[in-house]
Amino acid sequence: MLAEHKLNTLLALTAGASKEELALMQEHIGKLLAPVVTAQTAAQVPALNKVTIAYGTETGNSKRVATDFAALAKKAGINAKLVSLDQYRLNDLLKEEYFLTVISTQGEGEPPEAAKKFYDHIHHNGFKLEKLKYSVLALGDTSYPLFCKAGEDVDEQLLKLGGSRIADIQKCDVEFDDDANLWFSTILKKLGENKTGPLATGTPAAPAEKKPAGKKAYTGSILANINLNDRGSNKETWHIEIAADNIEYECGDSIGIVPENATPFVEKILSLSRGINAGKQLQYKNETFTVFDLLKYKLNISHLITAVIKRYAAIAGAEISETKMDLADLLKAYPVKDAAQFEEVLAVLNPIAPRLYTLASSPAAHSGEVHVIVAKDVFTANEEMKYGVCSAFLGSQKVDSPLKFFVQKNKRFRLPASDKDIIMIGPGTGIAPYRSFLAERDAVGAAGRNWLFFGEQHFTTDFLYQTEIQNWFVTGVLTKVNLAFSRDQPEKIYVQHRMWEHGAELYNWIQSGAYIYLCGKKDPMSVDVEHTLVEIIEKYGEKTTEEAKEYFLQMENEGRYAEDVY
Amino acid sequence: MTEQTNLSGTEKVKQASDALRGELSSSLKDEITGAIREADQSLVKFHGMYQQDDRDRREERAEKKLDRLYTFMIRLRLPGGLLTARQWLTLYNVAGENTTGVIKITTRQTIQLHGILKAKIKPTIAAFNQVKLDSIAACGDVNRNVICSAHPNQSPIHEEIFAYADRISNRMLPKTKAYYEVWLDQDKITDKKDEEDPLYQDRYLPRKFKVALVIPPNNDVDVFTNDLGLIAIIENNELKGFNVAVGGGMGATHGNPATYPRLGTVLGFVEKGEPTMQLIYEVATVQRDYGNRSDRKLARLKYTIDKYGTDWYREEVERRMGFKMEEARPFHFTERRDYFGWQQNHQGRWYYTAYVESGRITDSTQQAIKTALQEVAKTGKTNFRFTTNQNVIISDVAPADKDAIHAILEQFNVITNTENATLIRKNSLACVALPTCGLAMAEAQRYMPVLTSKIECLLDKYGLANEDIIMRMTGCPNGCARPAAAELSFVGTAAGRYNLQLGGDRVGMRLNKNYRENLDETAILTELDGLFGSFAKERIPGETFGDFTLRTVLATTV
Repeated sequence: MLAEHKLNTLLALTAGASKEELALMQEHIGKLLAPVVTAQTAAQVPALNKVTIAYGTETGNSKRVATDFAALAKKAGINAKLVSLDQYRLNDLLKEEYFLTVISTQGEGEPPEAAKKFYDHIHHNGFKLEKLKYSVLALGDTSYPLFCKAGEDVDEQLLKLGGSRIADIQKCDVEFDDDANLWFSTILKKLGENKTGPLATGTPAAPAEKKPAGKKAYTGSILANINLNDRGSNKETWHIEIAADNIEYECGDSIGIVPENATPFVEKILSLSRGINAGKQLQYKNETFTVFDLLKYKLNISHLITAVIKRYAAIAGAEISETKMDLADLLKAYPVKDAAQFEEVLAVLNPIAPRLYTLASSPAAHSGEVHVIVAKDVFTANEEMKYGVCSAFLGSQKVDSPLKFFVQKNKRFRLPASDKDIIMIGPGTGIAPYRSFLAERDAVGAAGRNWLFFGEQHFTTDFLYQTEIQNWFVTGVLTKVNLAFSRDQPEKIYVQHRMWEHGAELYNWIQSGAYIYLCGKKDPMSVDVEHTLVEIIEKYGEKTTEEAKEYFLQMENEGRYAEDVY
Repeated sequence: MTEQTNLSGTEKVKQASDALRGELSSSLKDEITGAIREADQSLVKFHGMYQQDDRDRREERAEKKLDRLYTFMIRLRLPGGLLTARQWLTLYNVAGENTTGVIKITTRQTIQLHGILKAKIKPTIAAFNQVKLDSIAACGDVNRNVICSAHPNQSPIHEEIFAYADRISNRMLPKTKAYYEVWLDQDKITDKKDEEDPLYQDRYLPRKFKVALVIPPNNDVDVFTNDLGLIAIIENNELKGFNVAVGGGMGATHGNPATYPRLGTVLGFVEKGEPTMQLIYEVATVQRDYGNRSDRKLARLKYTIDKYGTDWYREEVERRMGFKMEEARPFHFTERRDYFGWQQNHQGRWYYTAYVESGRITDSTQQAIKTALQEVAKTGKTNFRFTTNQNVIISDVAPADKDAIHAILEQFNVITNTENATLIRKNSLACVALPTCGLAMAEAQRYMPVLTSKIECLLDKYGLANEDIIMRMTGCPNGCARPAAAELSFVGTAAGRYNLQLGGDRVGMRLNKNYRENLDETAILTELDGLFGSFAKERIPGETFGDFTLRTVLATTV
């Protein structure tokens, strides 16, 4: 029990805190509590072995067939992942066990454009696919001389690479439905025969290692770094995939990343340092670093807080009234007198704070990986265009470069039992935890219904994860999706407007026990959404405003309303 | 009548479509995709639209986890290619607001706009409807835009012929009110009898159906490339009726020998007026009942007539009309071209035909034709006519207004551009192809101007700069730019590769032949260098390039 005044102080302190601030507080409290060790024993749900259904489509036929089959497979209790070959990460082929390809053939016997990279990859790379069990459904047109040639090539090549056929290749003519269904029912039967084998049980999970509490530092390596916005967008939103062995997290968790300062910026500061030796060794928190490394990896040198600017003013003996300055601005406007004074300045700088990103990946669907979304943060300070340190840092990470991070648990933002319905509201980067939720529910075959509200500026350029959301919708993982694109029409439309339009049904879901999640920008989005939710409860629940607020509060208390806002 | 089993997927979609409504209204509301549902993609064609996507952007968007960039192309129904000034002003605004901005003149005398997002279709159609423009049946398995000779100075009977284009288009229009319900939110019809359609029934035609009217001696419309061509028979300056040519069509499929381009066969003569209208109708009903409905590649009228025979087709049409056709009357074509520059008709009205490269009305460094036409339209003193060679005629100019219109055209370089373009460039046609056409295997309208410049150099080299050679390019063998009826054509087979076809005649009465396959640009230019060289040296005086190649290289190689 906390004494009331302590509790009040704590509540006051945490109430207005940002996610980053809460993390720092938690880190601090964690240190105070050390060396208390709690053992984490709960092993993750053993990941079911997956069947991947990959399609290469030109006209959309292959996609339709593959999509239908993925939905069927899911109904049959098989963990099926649906992917277009142009979005398929080629290195994943080495990890595949059950791999079904639906591919069409173009006029001169070549594969569709969307399958070219995959086709070339299996033809020009000398790797072995001994684990792979596969089958090919080839769509074609007998009026062409090279009927189903691309499918045949893929079938033969996968065999050459060491794969084994689950079933023989099925070639289909223009009217393909019957043959395709036949092929798929054969596959389903064969997979069913294996049900007692690996497909049903999965490989036994390795016993979970006991590990100390607190934040384990991981070093991952970047697998992919993609700007999800199309050309012409006002936004830059980076989808970053990071490989990390033995990573443990749950849907809803975040990772914390300590960004590095950009080397040109560090060099600029060194040039204003009155000749300090960049290689000079200095003590910092009981470790030794060179000046360069301190500036690059340890010290915050952009967006200085007022307290730091005051400390600088004291050292430089200057009156400084400006705010929103970085170290280079200060050094230019109020130069240090020599290298020694620069060293004094270094001593009063704050460390670089970690930035938290809600994970967009799911342990069951993306094993050994974490995915995050990072919106490039552009702002102007003193009439200069500047970028957020971490978003610029992450946006510039190349594939294969190493990245350090830690997992930040978020117990307040968890999926409910698998049979519960969920309503997910997440405009912009707020989509992140829902990609995690949906991938997880898809992978484990959760029965609960899922409803997504997403919003951004423009449909054509800013629909984050559009193809994934479409696949979840057509395979039935997503029950409903409603979208708000604010700038596609003269009047601004936001997620709360879509919620209001679907108020009656939304209230039905709430009444039947749905859990509501809200993620994204705190202001003004989360305020508007909460307000709309109360209004919907008021209108469709035929309640007074007070009763509606009470109802909403109760949902919060029952854990049926959760926010992750920033 | 043949019972047809094994109906193609499209046939099933048509019959189940509730008179072309399908699920279009729901498709438009699907929020997560810019596309419409699969079956609706077939139906939307009957409403004058194609769903397309920017093929240049597929790969990059897929990496970004974005769906294909779906947009729609809308094509207007513009019988005879006539547009009033007021209609132009609407077209200009719609193009600017909802599309790529380029106004494209098609090879069927109408215009089409590209790049319309799903959410912008209804506003676009509503704007057109305001000025009595529609896109009904501009695509799909129905009678397409009816084309007719474009040049009013050709004959005093031009007005009369033009009126037929309108009349045929209206007679052959589907009866369904789906267009007004789906796109214009008009009330649903209550009595299905109101849209009973004796011509199209619930299955429409097996494939597109193209009608053209031509006034000899200029075959500017390429009358024999149509399913049904009507050749005006004029005696003593009076229209008597038409010779009827049936079974033309350009499309073929690479590697499928059962498909081929074909020119129409003249069946006979029919008197003008109601007999002509009746004939057109019954030619369509015979095709409706006997055309192939299981394989769309073999569904055009040309395959029907070749399957059953010309005499059978004539007799079946006659049986349905209840009267016989007369023997075809003599006619003579001497040319196949647009008349550029100022021309005057028999009533003294002026016409200016401006050259539009690949039919793309857009401002470029050479000429600001889009602005020019907008300024001309603002005067309200002209109409516009489009030609089947993708050019525009500023028409019906009173003598008193001619100088003012001329000044506008001059100001925006339209006159200079038209006068400076070489004959071969002005005679050339190219289809849309990449990046929007789903069928394209190679570039066409984006590449043709570049290739033409290189071909002009070769012609210059041999002193052939003034040759009137008819040259065409398509990105696939389906034949939108009528490649098989050209003297020299390039038919795309793969990226950067074309079949070189030679030997068509000047007036469009003889198909060309495949001469070389899968050539890249270097190979094309090498071949042409040799051909032009020997043409310059060995031609018989007055011999056209098409006739020359037929007599020489094709005679020895085929």
